[in-house]
Amino acid sequence: MRKEIHFILNGSAVSVLVEAHKRLIDILRDPLGHKGTKEGCGEGECGACTVIVDGRAVNSCLYPAFEIEGKNVTTIEGLLGSGNRLSVIQQAFVEKGGIQCGFCTPGMILSAKALLDTNPDPGEEEIRNALVGNLCRCTGYVQIIESVKEAAEKGKEIK
Amino acid sequence: MNGYDYLIPKSFTEVWDLNKKFPGAGYIAGGTDLMVRIKQREIRPRALISLRSIPELSGIDIGDTIRLGAMTTITDLIQHPELGRILPVLIQAAKRLGGTQIRNVATLGGNLCNCSPCADTALPLLVLEARVVLKGPEGAREVPLSDFFVSPGESCLLPGEILTDILLDRPSVDTRSVFMKKGRVRMDLAIASFALLVEIKSSGPGCSKVRIAAGSVAPVPLRLKEVEQLLENTGISEEIFLNAQKMAEGIVSPITDIRSTEDYRRRIVGVYLKRALRKLIYTNGEWHKEK
Repeated sequence: MRKEIHFILNGSAVSVLVEAHKRLIDILRDPLGHKGTKEGCGEGECGACTVIVDGRAVNSCLYPAFEIEGKNVTTIEGLLGSGNRLSVIQQAFVEKGGIQCGFCTPGMILSAKALLDTNPDPGEEEIRNALVGNLCRCTGYVQIIESVKEAAEKGKEIK
Repeated sequence: MNGYDYLIPKSFTEVWDLNKKFPGAGYIAGGTDLMVRIKQREIRPRALISLRSIPELSGIDIGDTIRLGAMTTITDLIQHPELGRILPVLIQAAKRLGGTQIRNVATLGGNLCNCSPCADTALPLLVLEARVVLKGPEGAREVPLSDFFVSPGESCLLPGEILTDILLDRPSVDTRSVFMKKGRVRMDLAIASFALLVEIKSSGPGCSKVRIAAGSVAPVPLRLKEVEQLLENTGISEEIFLNAQKMAEGIVSPITDIRSTEDYRRRIVGVYLKRALRKLIYTNGEWHKEK
């Protein structure tokens, strides 16, 4: 069983012919070429595949592709500004050392974005809670939390 | 991976038709457990019928009876403006279910229909004496949640039936409740979990109503009715609490598995019961001094 799925990806309308058993991550990475979305465990434990669907962070490895019809999806590729300028959150991860091997980073940043979009001034506990579904095996989380705090501060300056 | 059909009906009539057209099809709610089991090849469905696009399965209605649509996501529960005040024990448990990405997709009905002994939302709903509405092509029936769970992974749902609503009587203002969960890390499945609800007597030390439930310590999320009876309409003392603790430890029937041991789980239930009783009862004015 196949059908054409239509949704908004990083602000642009896209259509993809999809097989019924595919997951959101399958269509993002392969036909659509958005390889910033990583598959870690494929079981909803690690959060490397996190994307934002209609304002909420979800694991794209657990999301049936057919369910994305009509939805609004943001991947890490959607955060870049004009001229490939990094977003405030991405820049904060670079500056605060929130990145080591980088595999968990897109998921971390999208979880952070989903938090900051609804709660621009989160406390440390709120940041930790928002990132509890994202595993990092390199940095030990301290720098990641600092990066999100920095992004919140910088976000305030911009506004 | 084996392919399967994925069907998105928009009404119950469509669902009943699809069940005839695709015999052996399974339902999918949020999919946060089901998609994992498919990946691990525990199940190989030929077709999945999605329940996400049936309007009657969503929504929260608050009156003397509270109705929670089965497809309400865990995040929707947590973000609801009134539920945190009216059903604090349910919201405490919802906040401990999975991580953010799971809560954003997982549904209340899905958490119940998995029939896992560790289902986080089952315990608060058991102590709140929730009923579930089960709908099939021939009509709907209402079942107490305590009768819904049959064994690990198995409920009293008949083939084709859908859990559509969770119904609760609004708790009285004298009600106090708490949810407790032991996991290794924050987003773990429960090693053991526990919920207590009490109604404090207006006349003096004691509880006119006690409801206790424990998770991951029996084949199904369990009400501890014998312990409830021991604690209802009796005095309040450390000795009674200790008796209740011992009784609870004796009633549960946990197993040893990858997450924990039988003995540890048994002890957690007893200790959580004692802590919960102290927390809910002793923090009130004069009884507090009895400590």
